[in-house]
Amino acid sequence: MKIQLLSFAALKEFFPSKQDLSLEGINTVSDLKSYLLGLKPDAEKLIKISRISVNQTIAKDSDLITEGAIVALLPPSSGG
Amino acid sequence: MDTKYKHITEEKLDLPSQFPPLPSMGGYVLFAGIVRDINEGRQVTHLEYEAYSEMANQMIATIIKDAFQNWDLEFADCIHRLGKLGLGDVAVIVNTGAVHRDEAYKANRYIIDRVKHEVPIWKKEYYVDGSSEWSKGCAHDHQH
Repeated sequence: MKIQLLSFAALKEFFPSKQDLSLEGINTVSDLKSYLLGLKPDAEKLIKISRISVNQTIAKDSDLITEGAIVALLPPSSGG
Repeated sequence: MDTKYKHITEEKLDLPSQFPPLPSMGGYVLFAGIVRDINEGRQVTHLEYEAYSEMANQMIATIIKDAFQNWDLEFADCIHRLGKLGLGDVAVIVNTGAVHRDEAYKANRYIIDRVKHEVPIWKKEYYVDGSSEWSKGCAHDHQH
């Protein structure tokens, strides 16, 4: 499955702001989080408090990621 | 440039110079979020904001729509600036208008609180010693 992964703010210190990924055996948001934690264990704390959007909708851990999805890692907001 | 978005811009924000021309509007509340010179005891020189602009714009539009559903408003808008901002620059404006002040105040607070906590916008603070840090933001629900 191919997806595009976007990373923002402090997460850009661990992942490129935009990258294309080919994933095997990853079906849900939760699977993706585990995969990313495996890549960058130092980002664990930040990934755990971040939200994930799939095609610009905030997703739950159990939500499915589908072929071609645009997935974004959203650290806690700090606008305003 | 993100200027194609209604609620997100890289342009300098100016305060509105006049009220929306709505004859039934008896109360109007303007909130401006301003870049201040100190964060957690450290002297700030400037900030940078970034956003997931497509999503942030859509989420702010939804928050405004929700405010119209919760209160009997005549007017509500919100715009957030991105990019490099200096001290005293306006980062965000929320303006609300209603027949009476109470609803304008409540809706304004509701909009800015949700924008701060939910909308994918991030702040990086730059300090006098040359260091910089992404603001930790708010991972939990609480009042502040």
